[in-house]
Amino acid sequence: MKILVLNCGSSSLKYKLYDMEDESVLADGKIERIGHENAQITHQSLDHSQIDKTTPIFEHTVAVVECLNLLVDPEYGVISDLNEITGVGHRVLHGGEYFKKSVLVTDSDLAYMDNKLKELGPLHMPANIMGIKACQDIMPQTPQVAVFDTAFHSTMPKRAYLYAIPYVLYERHRVRKYGFHGTSHKYIAGRVADLIGEDVTKLKIISCHLGNGASLAAIEGGISVDTSMGFTPLEGLMMGTRSGDIDPAALYYIMKKENIPMANINTMLNKHSGLYGIAGVGDMRDVQKGVNEKKPMHTLAYEMYEYRIRKFIGSYIAAMNGVDAIAFTAGIGENTPRLREIICDNLSFFGISIDKQLNQQRKKEFEISAPDSRVKVYVISTDEEVIIARDTLQLVANVHSQSN
Amino acid sequence: MEKIRRIAILGSGRLGRGIAENAATKGYDVTLFAQGAGSQNAPYRIERSLDKKLEKWAITEGEKRVILSHINYSTDLKKLVDADLVIEATIDHLYTKQELLRTADRLCGPNVIFLLTSATLCVSEIALSLSRPNLLVGARFIPPVVDTTVVELSFSSDTSKDAINTTKEFINNLGKKPILVQESPGLVNPRTLVTLINEAAYLLDEGVSSAEAIEMIIIGSWSMQQGPFEMADRMGIDIILNWMEQLQQVYGDRYMPAPIIRRYVQQGRLGVKTGIGFFRYNEDGQRIDNLDNKQEEN
Repeated sequence: MKILVLNCGSSSLKYKLYDMEDESVLADGKIERIGHENAQITHQSLDHSQIDKTTPIFEHTVAVVECLNLLVDPEYGVISDLNEITGVGHRVLHGGEYFKKSVLVTDSDLAYMDNKLKELGPLHMPANIMGIKACQDIMPQTPQVAVFDTAFHSTMPKRAYLYAIPYVLYERHRVRKYGFHGTSHKYIAGRVADLIGEDVTKLKIISCHLGNGASLAAIEGGISVDTSMGFTPLEGLMMGTRSGDIDPAALYYIMKKENIPMANINTMLNKHSGLYGIAGVGDMRDVQKGVNEKKPMHTLAYEMYEYRIRKFIGSYIAAMNGVDAIAFTAGIGENTPRLREIICDNLSFFGISIDKQLNQQRKKEFEISAPDSRVKVYVISTDEEVIIARDTLQLVANVHSQSN
Repeated sequence: MEKIRRIAILGSGRLGRGIAENAATKGYDVTLFAQGAGSQNAPYRIERSLDKKLEKWAITEGEKRVILSHINYSTDLKKLVDADLVIEATIDHLYTKQELLRTADRLCGPNVIFLLTSATLCVSEIALSLSRPNLLVGARFIPPVVDTTVVELSFSSDTSKDAINTTKEFINNLGKKPILVQESPGLVNPRTLVTLINEAAYLLDEGVSSAEAIEMIIIGSWSMQQGPFEMADRMGIDIILNWMEQLQQVYGDRYMPAPIIRRYVQQGRLGVKTGIGFFRYNEDGQRIDNLDNKQEEN
């Protein structure tokens, strides 16, 4: 069975076509700068034939058509008919409290996303929804599955997800911590359990997803019990351009002093803060370069970034009363050995120690903890798409078995 | 009806520039047709406006570049052939507008909708001179366009439902709420605005208090961002006078301008554009006589 995975961002579309016999990738690609005259398409198929082209694409609907056309293209395609695709899995940012796991999308599901969830993710949800609708139009017989970034965290206990503000705000508007990167944290937990060779239900794991956005998850017995992102992906760690935690009262003070409206505060915290706010560059590679050149603000940003991750790891060890394994993933987590080293060296109180040479490796997944470490430490390349493909396959298979 | 992507804006004054910046921010391709004095300043003014937003974290450097890349400038009306939507944002003078829109009418594709942004002129009056009265819609954008959240929508008996709906959708896409009103000179915002400015001007003329004090009381009473004097200075006191004279002809003496308004216009105290109106301004349009400082001096 072939499963297509779609990830529609605010101005981009990424896709992967899987053959689920062996979870091999038949084709993948991305379309960037959607909404512009010069949208960029990059498509690659299993036999490594590749195409790059620039063309005007103004809507996600058109981008989806482009993507599907490429998959059946006589020269660059990998299938001869769209009917070969058994199901399409869509990455959806926000499931709210309503979607606690992946679903086969019905009209009422789509209406719920449109009416209730769009405003919780104003940048991504419209694109996510458009992607689903476009596929429904073009391939009406093919089941569409939505996989939510928040769903894995729906197991958090109330004491962890509630904010200590008037309870009525939770009742009226469902203001609470939702958490994101759920699909990635779920994948990491599964891989850690496999690498340890223990059932995931018996493990306490801290998953550190450090990419452009960054979040930690405390995973106990295979389920998420706490995570650092909150109502939006702004809470928690310091990120590339996002502030992470800040005293909300400071914002009121800034608004008054700088004479700016709330909208500016929102963009300030999301786009002008984090590494960028301190060092003037938002990419960790640039920050590291500055650290090597002994630039003081780059060094400060790096130290702040590391310190906050370490604090969160400590708090999640307390939250779970222990930890069996810590895993680093995503761009920064996978490619910044020095950061991992500083974090782990400063957690020696917990019996965490790493092998500095193992830590320098670069491959898909590897252990970096020293033999005497009380806690296993891993670097694992995350794969959200394969989780989406698996969830999709499972839900689609259920439909098939019911209809037979 | 074709999807709207390319916008032509006739007039590069404050209103035209504001609409251009707003539309470009939302991803539309904009051509700003600059005419008259000060029009060569438009690119600088728009960039400056974006720079101020950047300084206060409202946008990023990358977003600024993208927005600017969506705005082109032209003086050649022949380029109107490319437009999906034409927005007229010139001075509120009947013959000027008729003349310009007649030219645009000849040059544009037959399905292109025209938006009239006039404060005082009605859709029906302008529609008479066009071959497409069904495609003329009144859309009173309110400056500062980038910050205000409503647009007054009006139409004539000839305007088609399609044209109104497409205009509504466009305004929604700009992040604003279109609100339907009957076509009438002065609509809602301009009429109430000049009334407030005029009353404040009378207060100043009668010596009830200083401009700063009157402004501060009004701002503080209704939690406004700007008071009537600063709004007048930013609109241009000559524009306000022009509106009032037109409204006086229609509605009578309740729109009779306070003497000080005429006096300022005669003295060339037109507001931000001349550096002085009710208050003083620097070249960037920032107030020099800060309200708080004045209060401390007292």
